[in-house]
Amino acid sequence: MKKKMMSLILLLAMTVTCLSGCGSSGGSDSKGDVDSLNIMVWDGTWSEEVFEDFEEETGIHVNVSFIDNTDTIISKLIEGSADYDLVDIESAYVKSFVDNELLTKLDTEKLTYQKDLIDSVGGAIGDEAMEYTTPDMAPGYTCVIYNKETCPIEIKSFKDLADPALEGEVAMVNSTISLYGMALEALGYSADSTSEEEIKEANDLLTDIKKNVKAFVGESAVSQLENGECSVAFCWDYSTLCNDTKDNWDKFEIADLDSPNEYFCQYWGIPSSSKKAEAATELINFMMKPEELAKDYEEYGGVPVLKEEVIEEYLPEGYYDNPSIKRYEELYNNSWKVAVNDDQINIMDTYYTELMGNQ
Amino acid sequence: MTKTSDVVPETPVVKKKHKDKKSFKARLSSFIMCAPISLWSVLFILLPMVLLAFMSFMTKGALGRIVYKFTLENYAEMFKPVYFTVIKQSLLIAFWTTLLTVLLGYPLANFIASVKKKTSGILTVLLMLPLWVSGLVILFSFVILLNSSGIINTFLMNIGLIKEPLDLLYNNFAVIIGMLYMFLPFAVLPMYSSIEKLDKGLIEASKDLGAGPVKTFLKVTLPLTSPGIFAAVILTFIPCIGYYMVTDMLGGGTSMMVGNLIYRQFTISRDWPFGAALAMVLAIVILLMVFIYTKLGGDLDDLGA
Repeated sequence: MKKKMMSLILLLAMTVTCLSGCGSSGGSDSKGDVDSLNIMVWDGTWSEEVFEDFEEETGIHVNVSFIDNTDTIISKLIEGSADYDLVDIESAYVKSFVDNELLTKLDTEKLTYQKDLIDSVGGAIGDEAMEYTTPDMAPGYTCVIYNKETCPIEIKSFKDLADPALEGEVAMVNSTISLYGMALEALGYSADSTSEEEIKEANDLLTDIKKNVKAFVGESAVSQLENGECSVAFCWDYSTLCNDTKDNWDKFEIADLDSPNEYFCQYWGIPSSSKKAEAATELINFMMKPEELAKDYEEYGGVPVLKEEVIEEYLPEGYYDNPSIKRYEELYNNSWKVAVNDDQINIMDTYYTELMGNQ
Repeated sequence: MTKTSDVVPETPVVKKKHKDKKSFKARLSSFIMCAPISLWSVLFILLPMVLLAFMSFMTKGALGRIVYKFTLENYAEMFKPVYFTVIKQSLLIAFWTTLLTVLLGYPLANFIASVKKKTSGILTVLLMLPLWVSGLVILFSFVILLNSSGIINTFLMNIGLIKEPLDLLYNNFAVIIGMLYMFLPFAVLPMYSSIEKLDKGLIEASKDLGAGPVKTFLKVTLPLTSPGIFAAVILTFIPCIGYYMVTDMLGGGTSMMVGNLIYRQFTISRDWPFGAALAMVLAIVILLMVFIYTKLGGDLDDLGA
């Protein structure tokens, strides 16, 4: 009997282990003391050197948790499993954070860099006046990138991704909001539509496109494009591709579509539970110093969020010749933004399950 | 006599006291030995499962919050065709993986059991090597190996065997290769244990009675090693249902498994109660399978318990 009980416990352990594999850890975090800050940032966006510089200058230790999606931040803040002092939020989620009182108001007078921000970077939907959030390093766009040498057709519309000539050639992000938002815009609807009928139509288009999709990727489609596995990708990787090697500048191009692309930006926010808002503000200011920010761009690439005249001297020579930066303004002017809401996500996610459930 | 009769009844009492003392000591030492693992099991297995069960009957709130209001809707939701398709797909992938793993694993287990003790020890260690490396690292290695500009394609193109790279990644072939690699050790070990325990005299007897190798295998070896096969089935099928990393990384993530579905409920959909309900059903299915296994005479030891 005892043996059976132990066996059952071990089997339960196996079940728990099996289920625990269903999630991905957002990284380690530790409860900070007075001399430390706990922050949550996206993996692969901030140079560790910047945190080390901050620690050296201020003596405040920075405990960094790396995440790969905003949902991890939401979960951690809601469940209150750890105290965070600064979080890095996607523009689409800012409204949810503000509406649910997860953020504290910023002391905007102390944010020294805001006057140097490029004109196109403003407040996100839900916090247009930037009272709770302030932009950080990565404005960008989700768009269709193609390999000029191997892509078999000219892509003029998002709908073209369903062209049978592209069978097995397409890689796509698996972000629900990006996929359905883009499909909705391509069909002439708004990306923030909550109409079930319109979302169903978008799902039909995505079902057609899926026939050509070789891989849905969680974070980056860079490898699928660079290793030649796919010749087209709907993703946010153009600046990464351009940063990897200059050879990619001529090899890959953003498709000129008849519908707008998704625009996004990252924002700093101080969680309402933080008791170290002042130190967190100091960290924001430090990280947004042009000389520090330049270190991130050098390592990961991306469109500088600060004005050219402020940051250019710290960037590698010719950084602004990068096509991902050259095309930024043009793409920004033809883009859509969205604020995630539960009703829309519920509908989209049910359709996404259907999309992925059907082989 | 009197003295003797006085002494005689005393002996069992002394013995009993001694026995009691010994059994108390044994019990105490067993308790001390078991306490850490029992506490760990209660805190990190039983309690989370109870919480999960509790959460599965609660209502979803705004931004993923849980509203403490009883509902059965999370379980009813599962019967929607859209989720049923995902469950069916997961079962199908788990079924094929299990079938192939057992079909390939049985001859391998048989081979390991047939060689000398020393060799079988080395082979067992080699078989378990993949378990010592993170699954994620293994899968990334497969991506490097199988992609269009990967090691296999580059080699084949360099020796002139192919002109265009073979489509080895992001398809069912890659998924099957990955699944087999991940789960083969789980299947081989119980089958090996079962085959090794087999009384070789019975095989000799079967041969002596005129049965050929095929008949001996079908009538003697296979039935007597069936608990090992069943254990292999359980150990492969169960983790397979929830294991979606292979389909995501090698299959291109174009299909959804129950594991993905649960993950999405706890992240993107922020519907923890529904995610908990799905996880509970999966856990119940697993326990049910183990129950059937034991009822059919399976030994829990073979499952690693």
